[in-house]
Amino acid sequence: MGLLLIPGLALPWLLGIVVLLSLRAPLRSPSAPGEVAWIAGAGYLSGAFLLTLWMRALSLVGIKFSVLAVGGPLLVATIVLGWWVWRRNTAARSDSAQRLPSLRQALSAPELTPLACAIWWALLAWLALRFALLGIEVITRPLYPWDAWIQWATKARVWYELGTIVPFARINEWLAANGTAWFDASPEYPPTMPLLQVWSCLVLGRWDDALMNGAWWQIAVAMTLAVYAGLRSLGVAALTALVGSFLVASLPLANVHVALAGYADLPLAAWYTTAALAFLRWIQQRDWRHAALIVLLLVACTQIKNPGYFWALTLVPALVAVLLPRHGVRIAFAGFAAAIILMVVVAQFRLSVFNYQLKLDFDPAWAELAQSYFLLGNWHLLWFGVVAASAVAWRHLLEPALAPITLIVGAGLMFLFFVFAFTNASFYIADQTTVNRATLHLAPLMVVFMVLAWNEFANGWRATHAPLATA
Amino acid sequence: MPEATPATVAVPPPALPAPPRVRTALWLLALALVLCTAVYLALNIPGSWFPSATSKTLGFRDFTLTRGTGGQQGDALVVTGVDASGTALITANSDLRSSDFPLIAWNANGFSELADVRFLWRSDYAPGKLNSAPLHVSAGRLLPLNLAHNPAWVGRISGVALTVRGPLGTPIHIGGMTAKTGGLREMAGDRISEWFVFERWSWSSINTLSGAAEAQELPLSLLLAAAVVIAAGAWAALAWRRRRMESLPVVLAVLFVAAWVTLDALWTFNLARQVAETRAQFGGKDWREQHLASEDGPLFAFIERARARLPAPPARVFIVADAAYFRGRGAYHLYPHNVFFDPSNNTLPAASSLKPGDFLVVYQRRGLQFNAEEKRLRWDGSPAIAAEALLVEPGAALFKIL
Repeated sequence: MGLLLIPGLALPWLLGIVVLLSLRAPLRSPSAPGEVAWIAGAGYLSGAFLLTLWMRALSLVGIKFSVLAVGGPLLVATIVLGWWVWRRNTAARSDSAQRLPSLRQALSAPELTPLACAIWWALLAWLALRFALLGIEVITRPLYPWDAWIQWATKARVWYELGTIVPFARINEWLAANGTAWFDASPEYPPTMPLLQVWSCLVLGRWDDALMNGAWWQIAVAMTLAVYAGLRSLGVAALTALVGSFLVASLPLANVHVALAGYADLPLAAWYTTAALAFLRWIQQRDWRHAALIVLLLVACTQIKNPGYFWALTLVPALVAVLLPRHGVRIAFAGFAAAIILMVVVAQFRLSVFNYQLKLDFDPAWAELAQSYFLLGNWHLLWFGVVAASAVAWRHLLEPALAPITLIVGAGLMFLFFVFAFTNASFYIADQTTVNRATLHLAPLMVVFMVLAWNEFANGWRATHAPLATA
Repeated sequence: MPEATPATVAVPPPALPAPPRVRTALWLLALALVLCTAVYLALNIPGSWFPSATSKTLGFRDFTLTRGTGGQQGDALVVTGVDASGTALITANSDLRSSDFPLIAWNANGFSELADVRFLWRSDYAPGKLNSAPLHVSAGRLLPLNLAHNPAWVGRISGVALTVRGPLGTPIHIGGMTAKTGGLREMAGDRISEWFVFERWSWSSINTLSGAAEAQELPLSLLLAAAVVIAAGAWAALAWRRRRMESLPVVLAVLFVAAWVTLDALWTFNLARQVAETRAQFGGKDWREQHLASEDGPLFAFIERARARLPAPPARVFIVADAAYFRGRGAYHLYPHNVFFDPSNNTLPAASSLKPGDFLVVYQRRGLQFNAEEKRLRWDGSPAIAAEALLVEPGAALFKIL
């Protein structure tokens, strides 16, 4: 393994961490619930995307990729920003709330009963085992899954070997290009994930289609941290938040997408989930820094996989509900109704969007969908849990605390339903191909929704059933 | 001035209810699991709960491919095609007492969900009559067939067969057939063993996971979900009687997480087995050795030899192969050359699209002819083009277009 690989993989993580630290609202204490995990989780996702933007800029101005050209300026930026953050923290050192907690403080279970404490450590150990297994698999197995080697790593190989981003084109353009454009199965796919693979190979010093996939493992870790942090900052107790992040980290299909790295579905899920969590955090403080992070993460969604544009739009109903607290939910529902009408109208024209043919033949394969969600091994008990949590918390779903996440997942489910019911993707439900990969984009956020809904139900239940004590 | 009343405040409960309540909930979950399993067995055991007979297996060598194409490969009878009437048929002689074996289970995979698959048999009760029953396909496998209530399943079964009509898709692999007694022990053992089957990575893993055996009659997720609902209901009933319902949300969460952890423990075990297998296959090898040890090792080795004869990248290279897998993988190994391949169809490029200085890699592709003396290459009725063979191996070649 190349000596530079580990520091090279750590660089975007550190960059993202210092960017988030520098963007951190001065009023937000670093010892606030989940703050360290948020900076680490959202930090990686921000830093990794910034790294790819930098590589695209280098390619645009004609500078060849190298460890120095790509990593040097980013390292300098990391150091400078880190120094500035350190200076700012030093100035605030007298305020104990502004100090960063130690690693031990960050990991330790806060004020739990012995049983809860045992569960806390057991879950951490379970998570460590899971990521250890996934880590070994991802660095040992050369690129395996089909699309990874016909449409994703194809670009990584060419760009790494040529040291710059060269265009990929469809067959007719490729034939006409006379050797100036390259070809693969999906030339129009965005470059973010291949560029992360290129960076790994640069720091490794050679092409290696096993070791270049470390980013998938990092993304899974970052998403787990972000989910924990997001739940904590939304008022969920530490153990419950850890259970939520465990549920996300143990989704079998998400695990497969780490172990058999190379597809962009898990990365899209991670960026989208973190963007939605950043949005929910933003609602609490309405700070421009949070807004900047949301924009960065949503732009990243569009640059990871083409459906990212649609996933980014699923935050719009929640934004409307938040900005217009009196009528926002009604407007959002009116928007849903309008979207349904629009779907039916648009489907009549048999348009093609991102290679999906729209059609009006409403014939979803319900049995196969139910088999995928409830009976096969893709999601453990996720969809049972979502149904149960929605049922027990139904009174709270549109209350201010839950309405934004309810509207986001509602819009997400609607998007999935549209894809399955009104496009040629419905064929892929029957053969269990695209259905689960498309669902993976939303699945981690469904876990967040499930935990938040249960939390609201539990809070409401406590308020009415807690034993009364005499003060 | 009114007398001051003591203030009452709600005391938030601890994050988890007292251990005894959690323990009660978990015991109820265990009981519910047993109950659900018992109900399943009661509804599904086809005959005697404690039969005296033992199951009988016919191996793939006992079967004959009577109609269709294929043959024995490794540890299976492989059916690769149907006959002119669109049917494949495999037959075997048997000696089974029908009343002892109400269940027929096939160890076979590769079936299309669109195919009409049927189990056929002859008995000494009506030797001239051929009986049949439809078989259901799930995830490419055949679900066990319960013949306990089939009036034609009588007497001594002297011959069995499997017929497939319709699209085959991929080749069908038949490992054998087991006539099962369907007793309590066997049925419970079968269901439990389905949950522990090692699900190794396959091409479909990135799209879907079975969660152990490809076809499960009783999915563990469904069983656990049912058990959680029953246990939660039982706990709530007990708590309601004792007026101690305050822990309900936490108990619901504990039951759900316990069920999830059960599933995840099996998944972790499966993942650990897969990691061990991956390490055995690829561990300690460098990048090239890993690819030589992969499923497409021979293709990779050929492309490496072809690359040595190509100029420095990027040369324009076309690759053709009958199998989409070899076209895509071959192209992948050829980058950063400027490669063209047809990702979805087994087509050959128009001869006019190749120009001097281009290269053509052919790997296990029929329909190309090369005249070495005249240095002419042609395919699919296209006009011959001038080409030079740079590398020729059995089933594979590299040409330079002149």
